[in-house]
Amino acid sequence: MSAAIANPEAPDEPAAAAQPPREGEGRREVRGGRGRKRRSKRSTLLTVGMLAAAAYFLLPLFWLVVASTKSTGDLFSTFGLWFAGHNNLFTNLGNTFTQDGGAFTVWFGNSLLYAVASAVGGTFLAALGGYGFAKYRFRGNQAMFMGVLGAMAVPATALAIPIYLLFSQIGLTDTPWAIILPSMAIHPFGLYFMRVYTDSAVPDSLIESGRIDGAGDFRIFFQVTGRLLTPALATVFLFMLVSTWNNYFLPLIMLNDPDLYPVTVGLANWQGQASSSGGASGDYVPLVITGSLVSIFPLIIAFLFLQRYWTTGLVSGSVKQ
Amino acid sequence: MSADTAPRAAAAPRTAKGGKGPRYARTGYLFVAPFMVAFTAMFLVPLAYAAWFSLFREQMIGGNVFVGLDNYTRAFTDPRLIQGLGRVGLFFLIQVPLMMALALFFALALDTALLRLSRTIRLAIFMPYAVPSVVAALMWGFLYGPDFGPLAQLAERIGATAPDFLGADLMLGSIANIVTWEFTGYNMILLYAALRAIPTELYEAASVDGAGPWRTAWSIKIPLLRPAIVLCMVFSVIGSFQLFNEPSIMRTLAPNVIVADYTPNLYAYNLAFVGQEYNYAAAVSFVLGFVIMAGSYVFMLATNRRSRS
Amino acid sequence: MNPRFRRRTGLGAALAAPLAFAACARPPVDPPEHVSEAEIAAAMRTPTELNFWTWVPGIEKQVALFEEAYPDVKVDVVNAAQGAGHYAKIRTALRAGRGAPDVAQVEYQLIPSFSITNHLLDLRPYGAGELEDQFVDWVWAQVTGPGGEVWAIPQDTGPMGMLYRADLFEAHGIEVPETWDAFADAARTLHAADPEAYLTNFPPSQGPYFAGALWQAGADPFGGSEGPDLHVDVTSADAKRVTDYWAGLVAEGVVSTDPDFSDQWYQAANRGKYATWLTAAWGPVFLQSTAASTSGKWRAAPLPQWEPGAQAAGNWGGSTSAVFNQTAHPIQAAVFAQFINTDPECTKAMATEQFLFPPTKALLEDPEFTGLELEFYGGQRVNEVFAQISETVSPDFQWSPFQDQVYADYGATVGTAVAEGADTDAALAAWQDRITEYARLQGFTVVGNEEGS
Repeated sequence: MSAAIANPEAPDEPAAAAQPPREGEGRREVRGGRGRKRRSKRSTLLTVGMLAAAAYFLLPLFWLVVASTKSTGDLFSTFGLWFAGHNNLFTNLGNTFTQDGGAFTVWFGNSLLYAVASAVGGTFLAALGGYGFAKYRFRGNQAMFMGVLGAMAVPATALAIPIYLLFSQIGLTDTPWAIILPSMAIHPFGLYFMRVYTDSAVPDSLIESGRIDGAGDFRIFFQVTGRLLTPALATVFLFMLVSTWNNYFLPLIMLNDPDLYPVTVGLANWQGQASSSGGASGDYVPLVITGSLVSIFPLIIAFLFLQRYWTTGLVSGSVKQ
Repeated sequence: MSADTAPRAAAAPRTAKGGKGPRYARTGYLFVAPFMVAFTAMFLVPLAYAAWFSLFREQMIGGNVFVGLDNYTRAFTDPRLIQGLGRVGLFFLIQVPLMMALALFFALALDTALLRLSRTIRLAIFMPYAVPSVVAALMWGFLYGPDFGPLAQLAERIGATAPDFLGADLMLGSIANIVTWEFTGYNMILLYAALRAIPTELYEAASVDGAGPWRTAWSIKIPLLRPAIVLCMVFSVIGSFQLFNEPSIMRTLAPNVIVADYTPNLYAYNLAFVGQEYNYAAAVSFVLGFVIMAGSYVFMLATNRRSRS
Repeated sequence: MNPRFRRRTGLGAALAAPLAFAACARPPVDPPEHVSEAEIAAAMRTPTELNFWTWVPGIEKQVALFEEAYPDVKVDVVNAAQGAGHYAKIRTALRAGRGAPDVAQVEYQLIPSFSITNHLLDLRPYGAGELEDQFVDWVWAQVTGPGGEVWAIPQDTGPMGMLYRADLFEAHGIEVPETWDAFADAARTLHAADPEAYLTNFPPSQGPYFAGALWQAGADPFGGSEGPDLHVDVTSADAKRVTDYWAGLVAEGVVSTDPDFSDQWYQAANRGKYATWLTAAWGPVFLQSTAASTSGKWRAAPLPQWEPGAQAAGNWGGSTSAVFNQTAHPIQAAVFAQFINTDPECTKAMATEQFLFPPTKALLEDPEFTGLELEFYGGQRVNEVFAQISETVSPDFQWSPFQDQVYADYGATVGTAVAEGADTDAALAAWQDRITEYARLQGFTVVGNEEGS
């Protein structure tokens, strides 16, 4: 429902664009002159301030890197924000990937499978649907679209228990499907984004000329407009990838077999191992830390690798927001 | 709105739907069908099933009993649920404005030409978004450690005492910090993208008028960003009210502060999977979903009215 | 049609296998009166795969011994989750009727929660009835039902004792306290002498620890419950004595309240913040690996007593092997559960290599076990200390049929109140109310504490 309400704002935008300068005029007299004088000073000040902010955002990651070079003993007895004398990183990495018969390696693979499968499937569904909603007139177009947008306000985790109940009834819990199917479909934002983007990026004339050339509508979709939609596809793909890779609640309740766990649930399980009384021990702590470090690389790589596409995608997609 | 009554495509190219007649309408259905089928199966059907399910109570003694709306009457008077809702409401009031203000400031700062190293800074701030919230909570949990955590050690080195981040008084703030850390960059990127989409002519007009970068930001950019800000805020409403991962991970560090009903979502999880009160958990999920929908709706209305007046 | 579709179907095929299994939920096994030797022998020669959920490190050793004895039965060891998560996952699988383990590690305190919902297999027909004499009485009482059912086979136990830092005791002139009064005095002495140190740590939300404390104090909150009739009395004088005592020491500031087994707690144990750890028989070896830097400084002793000269102890932790009745292989599962916990080689390895504290009379009297001298404890025979404590554990202690819920409510009420040094009467009453309300919603008839005690 949220975006359904946000949407009507979109047509207002030209009006809004005209308005602000008017608002600003009143204030110009009060603060007008000072801005220009301080401009060069501010740039250093701003840079320093922003670097400080960046330091805050990097601090935990720095700690993570430092901590993954430490042994259990050093972890509990040396200063947390600097390296200990002895570098244990490679031992930790080795242990992380081999502990419990290579469990972490399995979890990592599962995360990749779930995230990529849901992101590919979800992007495909959103692209088809967004294109359909943007470019075709049919009975119920508006109603269906609004219905989907209304669903954005239902939180994914509030939905997780109902999905779990249903899936356990039909025997789908504890299978990869229990993660992939919901992850593909319960992010209506992708559909919204694709519709907005398609509307502005794919001219009707292109479709018309495709038809005149005798191409079927689906061929037009795939071959002609597919290229125009690349930034949007990359954007939706990435954000779905992130939401599935980072998902904890859904796999936590759906899966019982550790061989099916994604990295998030697996790491939380190891963390539990490190902090439970059943004869386990603190030896799991470095594994949790090193595993955490490893788990953030794929997304960072994906973001860097696809940067060109998703930055364009977001900018163009937000035109109509 | 059917194809037959649609205005001629050529007359209004921007809004025209490609093609007319029942043939294309059918193609349109084919395009949206896969999404709608998935949506129905993963969204509407589970909701309907859970709605039905929430009318029962499965007991250890006596089996499954139809109880009508009992679970809802219980939910609306359940102090543990209401307290949890109050807590996430407070969380929302503190954390979201702070995070949005930061994200907006960062986005505006990146958008001015005044900043050096802007690419690096942008990446650094955005990076936490790529960190799973489970991992974020684990990391901050370590950093918060009361006696020997790095922050406490740092404070000790400068002769101060670090506050008890994991104590009852500060816990909500400590969780707010984690969430802010995770999502400021994400919101910043969305706002930054929206800024980049603003046509530059609008700025040029302002700079001819002699407005400095901050004044341009205040009087031109922010009003233009309103729709994007509202959208980010709505996502944040949803995010705050479904808070689960961070408190659930932090629980091992402070089990007597983060109790089973700390947030409504954590409560629903514990109801279902510790107390085996699955039916009541479904009802609680519904109440929570309803509160969030109502919350975002009220929020949208409020901002809409403000923008008009 | 297009390459993208083809790739998707390829992926679908890869994932189709689990989907194919989806529909078949298993009905529970109705155990026969008696299973003959011949039937058992035949079953054990049938190629079978068992699913065994456990968190015990190194249990592969016992599994290997079993597979050596019964080469046709393969056991798949699964470590699904820890603590409450372990049981939550078993329950979700049982509900789904698919994917539940054949055999799982189940703590004593959780056995009734699975037997009341009729999910456990009575092991008597499979020969478990004859095992009674091998186990310590109070332990056997924990695994048997009111009708004499054998719900699980004991694997290890946790009679509670006290581990203390002999060096710190000596430095501050503290005698090993034999009563809780003396313990309180020692707590004040130590903290006054060293404000950074505490005689002990009260873990605020550690329900099982608190249950052990109640056990020692003679409280039996759920004693006398049977089936749908549930006795609930957590506000008894014995329980109040325990909560008042700890809340008092916390209010005085002489006992710390860190959550146990947390990073903070590990660090504190290494750095000498706590001079004692009130723990169970599995504690000594656990501490040895997590606080290695304090080796040689620790000793073990029985818990302080409420009555001078008394000898009472509770139990904290330990677990069993239970068989779920959704298993497709009841005979093999039942034999497995019995084998790993009674085969001499298996149990000996558990006691002397994996350091699980044994529940069998034979091992508790075995000099090779009791005579073990641990360097970490200055060469003390720690097993002997705990073997003697084991004899002082009362057999009269009953668990509720929803003990994890009881613990969750404990943490939110009594645990928090004690950790804040607050009014524990109100907290105990709140705990009683929560348990009662929950029990009522689950269809139990609650017999309260009207009689008073």
